[in-house]
Amino acid sequence: MNKKKVMESFNRQAWIFIIPSMLLIISFVFYPMIQAFITSFQTGTGTNLSVNGIDNYKRLLTDTTFRKALFNTLLYLFVQVPIMIILALVISSMLNNKKLKFKGFYRTAIFLPCVTSLVAYSIIFKSLFAADGFVNAILMKVHLISEPISWITDPVWAKILIIVAITWRWVGYNMVFYLSGLQSVDDAVYEAADIDGASAFRKFKSITLPMLRPIIIFTTINSTIGTLQLFDESKNITGGGPANATITISHYIYNLLFKYSPDFGYAAAVSYVIVIMIVVLSFIQMKAGDKND
Amino acid sequence: MRIKKLIVFLLAGITILSLAACSDTGDNNNSSDKITIWAWDESFNIKAVNKAAEVYAEINPDVEVEVVTMAQNDIVAMLNISLSSGAYDGLPDIVLIEDYRVQGYLTAYQNDFSVMTDIASADDFAEYKTGVNVIDGKMYGIPFDSGVAAVFYRLDLVEETGYAQADMEDLTWDKYIEIGKAIKEKTGTDLLTLDPSEIGQIRMMLQSAGAWYTDEDGNADIADNQALKDAITTYKKLIDAGIVKKVSDWNQFVGAFNSGEAASVPTGCWISPSVTSADDQSGKWAVAPFPRMAENPDSINATSFGGSGWYVLKNVGNEEVAKDFLKETFASNVDLMNQLVEEINLVSTLTAAGEAENYSKGVEFYGGQEIFKDFAAWTEEVTPVNYGKDTYYIEDMMTEAVQRILNGADMDKTLSDCQTQVEAAVAKGGRKSK
Repeated sequence: MNKKKVMESFNRQAWIFIIPSMLLIISFVFYPMIQAFITSFQTGTGTNLSVNGIDNYKRLLTDTTFRKALFNTLLYLFVQVPIMIILALVISSMLNNKKLKFKGFYRTAIFLPCVTSLVAYSIIFKSLFAADGFVNAILMKVHLISEPISWITDPVWAKILIIVAITWRWVGYNMVFYLSGLQSVDDAVYEAADIDGASAFRKFKSITLPMLRPIIIFTTINSTIGTLQLFDESKNITGGGPANATITISHYIYNLLFKYSPDFGYAAAVSYVIVIMIVVLSFIQMKAGDKND
Repeated sequence: MRIKKLIVFLLAGITILSLAACSDTGDNNNSSDKITIWAWDESFNIKAVNKAAEVYAEINPDVEVEVVTMAQNDIVAMLNISLSSGAYDGLPDIVLIEDYRVQGYLTAYQNDFSVMTDIASADDFAEYKTGVNVIDGKMYGIPFDSGVAAVFYRLDLVEETGYAQADMEDLTWDKYIEIGKAIKEKTGTDLLTLDPSEIGQIRMMLQSAGAWYTDEDGNADIADNQALKDAITTYKKLIDAGIVKKVSDWNQFVGAFNSGEAASVPTGCWISPSVTSADDQSGKWAVAPFPRMAENPDSINATSFGGSGWYVLKNVGNEEVAKDFLKETFASNVDLMNQLVEEINLVSTLTAAGEAENYSKGVEFYGGQEIFKDFAAWTEEVTPVNYGKDTYYIEDMMTEAVQRILNGADMDKTLSDCQTQVEAAVAKGGRKSK
């Protein structure tokens, strides 16, 4: 009896602590989400909105800019995320090597890009990769290229540039997760593998990867969501250009609202496409990750 | 037990209070004699407002004028956010808006803008400027600079190739490209710069033929628009000639001609202060009328690019003071315009300003050429077109279409696809604006 009372009062106290954050989440996350969903069935400029049913979603089907943005975003997702995850895995297992000297220095150096501001690094990348920028100058000096590469004004190079930039920015972030995961792997396992004469690649494939699987799934989902919401790089490095060749969905939503005459209904509809994609992709990844358990 | 409860409540209370405290920091400093003005471009618009503020200080010393420099994109974004949410805190009393964009604002937020009919008359300004800001006979802004386009070019390079200044008069694009090729061959300098994400050149060509992406009623006019096809063909010729330096932003654009990497700049006359900022090139530049498209009979040697006007946001607070400021300065003050001619090479759209004495002076940087007389003459020739309210939206899709056509796609097919897409987007706007 007494015990029950204590539990009840605990519950009440817990609720009091939780309520403020719940209220905040409801009013700043769930309420806008529902409101955005309602808005996505409306049309009009500015605040003069009127209901138009699913016209906004129909318009998505004829909108080639949207298709381009979708294609670009998926391209970044399917090209960049694997590159980044593999790089992060390789670097983290290299840094986990007990005999490596100056480990702290390398770790810091690789993690440092993540603490730079997205806008600041984008602008620096933009000037580094300008037609007469530092990168072209170096490449020409070492005679790798004879003419400056138009990183920003060529549709293909611009996409490569965005991928290079995001990879530089986020490899360190993922590496830290893997490093901390590797700390919990018992050295004895590796020693046993050494005794069995396993090669370094075999150890990586048969020990490191399986041990890190939950973390790999976590980082993959995180990176997927992050890539789908990609905005700063597209906006600041290439401005979405040349001719929308690098625009992402988030950047397109921004343009619909703040660059053109604001069209809240359509922008909300486009943003719901991202929501659906994130839900579906995360679901697939979680299912795929759980399979062997 | 009680104390424990108390602590819990206190903690919860503190959490909520501290959150509430965060939101209460905005100060409402709306004293009646202060107005705020937003504009972009330090070397042009901002100088003009500051000068106007000086002039106004003599007329009405009690009013404090605060001028804020912002990038045009930021102004656009801020206006869109604030006006659509109805939150006027932090908005300026007067804002500079580009002609291409103003219709979008006036249709979406007509009630937020002051009517100017009582302080100025549309007849006082160049016709093509007031076309964009008069709705139902009411004028909503004070037109400011002329966007009349011209070709600023390096006379020394042109002469080096054997052509003369006279060859640049009555210019056609074919002739212009021919001269460009000669310059490239002889000196290695590109004729001009282009930004693949920005097809201002095509916009200028369109208006030179009295056409636009939309017809007079604001309906998308792309698939069967002969002027647009001619413009894209000309654009393709330019690219194919290999005389174009690609740039990706404003700084590279200005940097290219300031450092001598581009032999000419075909754009709005407001670029002049940026051209003249390269002191070492003084005397080497000249100004020619904008080229026409020879294959299009409607195309003339005059068009417009950019140009903007001053607008008063009436719900911000100081509508009357703001209007009085404009009335005494940009809406009527010929003397101010005269000073601005000297200072920023302003080509005013105030008709009376044409008589200002500085307009008849030659400019040393352009070898003594009387550029303002030319600008004024070309301004009168510009064909007014209805920019509609979706210029930038349509143009973003057009940049993609143009790139596809440059890469070999069929023009008719691409443009008709583009037409379908634009119609889907603009359709609802057409209904609303009627």
